[in-house]
Amino acid sequence: MLTITIFCFSGLVIVAILLVYKMERIREQKSFIDKLKKSLDEMDEQAKLIVRTDMELNKAQEELDKKIRSLFALQGLSRAMMTSLEENQIFRMLTAEHLQELGFENVAAFLWNSKERKFDSHINIGYSDEEIEPIKSYLEENKEKYLNLIKSNKTISSISQTGEGGFEEKIPVIFKVTHFIISSVSPKEGDSGFLFVGTNDTDTAINEGDEELITILANQLAQALENARLFDKTWKAQQSLEEKVTERTHELTSALKELQIVSRRKNDFISSVSHELRTPLTSIKGYAAILLAGKLGDLPPEIRQRLDKINKHSDELVHMVNDLLDIARIESGRQLMKKEELNLKQIAEKIGDLLGVQMKDKDIAFTINISGEACSVSADRQQIERVFINIIGNAIKFTPKNGKIAVSCQEYKDGIQIDISDTGYGIPENALEGIFEEFYRVDNPINDEVKGTGLGLALVKHIVEAHGGKIWVKSKLGSGSTFSLTLPRTG
Amino acid sequence: MSINTGIGISKNRDALQAAGEAIHQARMNLLSDKIDLALVFTSNDLAHSTVLKTIRNSLPEETPICGAASLAIITNEEEVLKHGMIVVLFSFPETIYFNPAFIENISMKTPFSAGEELGDKLSFGFKNIRRDFGVIFSDGLIRDASAFLSGLQGKLGSSFPLAGGCASDNLKLHKTYIYYDNSMPSDSACGLIFGGKLNFGIGIKHGWKPLGKMRLITNSNANVVYEIDNQPAAKIYEEYFSLNLNQLRKELKRISILYPIGIFLEGEDEYLLRNLLAIDESGALIFQGSVPQESSIRLMIGSKESCLDATRQAAEEVKKIFLGRNINFVLIFNSASRYTLLRREAEKEVHIIKEVLGKNTPVAGFYTFGEQAPLKSINYQGKSYFHNQSITILGIGD
Repeated sequence: MLTITIFCFSGLVIVAILLVYKMERIREQKSFIDKLKKSLDEMDEQAKLIVRTDMELNKAQEELDKKIRSLFALQGLSRAMMTSLEENQIFRMLTAEHLQELGFENVAAFLWNSKERKFDSHINIGYSDEEIEPIKSYLEENKEKYLNLIKSNKTISSISQTGEGGFEEKIPVIFKVTHFIISSVSPKEGDSGFLFVGTNDTDTAINEGDEELITILANQLAQALENARLFDKTWKAQQSLEEKVTERTHELTSALKELQIVSRRKNDFISSVSHELRTPLTSIKGYAAILLAGKLGDLPPEIRQRLDKINKHSDELVHMVNDLLDIARIESGRQLMKKEELNLKQIAEKIGDLLGVQMKDKDIAFTINISGEACSVSADRQQIERVFINIIGNAIKFTPKNGKIAVSCQEYKDGIQIDISDTGYGIPENALEGIFEEFYRVDNPINDEVKGTGLGLALVKHIVEAHGGKIWVKSKLGSGSTFSLTLPRTG
Repeated sequence: MSINTGIGISKNRDALQAAGEAIHQARMNLLSDKIDLALVFTSNDLAHSTVLKTIRNSLPEETPICGAASLAIITNEEEVLKHGMIVVLFSFPETIYFNPAFIENISMKTPFSAGEELGDKLSFGFKNIRRDFGVIFSDGLIRDASAFLSGLQGKLGSSFPLAGGCASDNLKLHKTYIYYDNSMPSDSACGLIFGGKLNFGIGIKHGWKPLGKMRLITNSNANVVYEIDNQPAAKIYEEYFSLNLNQLRKELKRISILYPIGIFLEGEDEYLLRNLLAIDESGALIFQGSVPQESSIRLMIGSKESCLDATRQAAEEVKKIFLGRNINFVLIFNSASRYTLLRREAEKEVHIIKEVLGKNTPVAGFYTFGEQAPLKSINYQGKSYFHNQSITILGIGD
């Protein structure tokens, strides 16, 4: 019995020990499970943080992607618009593709037609012709509000309605969009207007960045319009200028032709009159010579004196008539230049000899600075001699006593240049242009004393030009003059 | 004779011209006068009845046309086109059999009965021929796409391999279109059953990773989840994002794409994803695809890297099945969510697929509002499931 009791007791003790052990194990496991649960909860909390951060990052990424896409689209659009120089072409650059990149499906651009006092639609994407009509009617009814908006150069949108005009609330209904941006398009010149963009995408609300982008786009649109208008204006001005130039050229050609006819008639007239004058002049001179020779008996000194004058004036008249005939001949091309190889040094020396007496009378020093064969050209000897006689003759005439006259020559690539300078009275500046004209005489005391026809330098100019050369003069009153002329080597 | 394909692609924004260009190119590239089948995928802006008419008129009368309109299309040129279309013409050897079928007005039926109807029509021509696999193109807005698939499996067999995708729109969930013959219906589905002497391989992956505690669906019906861990279902999202119901609704699109729920699948590498479509007034969550009661779920998180990694794994799965044999054509059903997540890097997926399956392997595909593909684990006996956020790659060879 005792054994049984002891056995039972021992059993109870073992069970109790096992129970305590089990309970301890359960407690341990519970603690482990609690720890696990806690870890899971903590992990879940961490997951929440990860998810929230990840969503923010994704939002930022999306925003950044959108910005990059928009900027790319804006850059492409700007480049395309700025290369267009035609107004309608500029608007056509706004394509559905670009708009989509900017995040909009609808676009409309209206410009105020100041002549017809109405808004003209220049582009609409996302609207059919039927849909755009009510929008136009709405703009017609509210034109003052929109004109004020354009004038204020503002941008309004579904997120920044100013409320000032009180018409923004209606825009989504009229333009059938959820979000919109309207920005004024104000070129410096010509009609202004506005650019409308809109979207029905409720998920991607517009933000201030979009407003900025559309404002930039509208400004660039205005700039492109400005450029196109400026180009148009310049183009039209150029066209008009070209027309005027053509017209004026035509007028000038006609005038030149008339002038040539008149000039030819003048030459013909001078030729015929000169010829007619020469015959009686020859008779007058002949009779005067007979009378002066005493062939018709002795003459009283008074009559001889008068006859001398008749003879002298007749000579001058013959000289003038001859000059006139020469000018007319050269101008009309009837006078052919008989060209031969000329040594200009020899010609200068010959003319120096010819006029030597007159130079000696006034003690004028005549120098020729031409070395050997240096200056030779192909030209008409007789005519070139006349050139030298006229210029050196004039120099003698206008150079006071003890003066100097010098002839020099220099060669250049295609010809030679002859300079004949004197230490004479010089030519007033205002007379420099006219001295090569026919019958022009410088207004000075010498000319009043010394007789001249006013044809000498005109003849010289005609001869030089007939040889393909040029003549000009440099002079300073009181310091003498230098006449320069060129002659081409080949003539 | 082997399977010949001719692919035509057009980026023309004019629907009529695009169709003309694509079909002309496809015919030129097909090395056969015999045209047995045409697959057409277009971006939504080209979803126009004239497109189908143009293609129909360029093909023999008996050639079936199947396809879908989508957010974007995947082309053989390793491009993802937001505006464009691709036409694939097939010329099969006599030893390959296929049967096309079409059903419409799905919303007027239960999704399950609509699935059964399509299953019936698909199996019609295959009475005495072994069926190998099926391809399904369905509307992207079917109420319960899982039930539709169950209906199909009711007729074709629960372990019958199906690969498919639902047409998508520009994420507005307004209207989607499938292409069948010369019509472009919504609320419809079409499919093809293949049999005979051909090989196929299906790879599916998504790349999303589980995050946080495992939770239990304590009350759900089809695609509506009322309670999770005996709490109103929306509470899981409220807690994770620290947002109230209204704020959650505003962020719904982002949450749906980036943070779906994943249903734990015993023996599978990945969880079965479900996109959140809506949150009702009571806080019940409406998903794209069914979420069975008593299933264990977790919140999922994805990144571009994990997404692209999953694409490579899916392609590797197909390659493994083919054991070096020739792949004549690869059809891709890619989730629209992946396109939204990857954006400018979307083309990398096509590049990876071509890299794994061969640069010269013809490829075409479109973006989907849900994909169909079998699970791999033995536990599921090859049964096809409705997936979200996944890329399904179907390789066909002879």
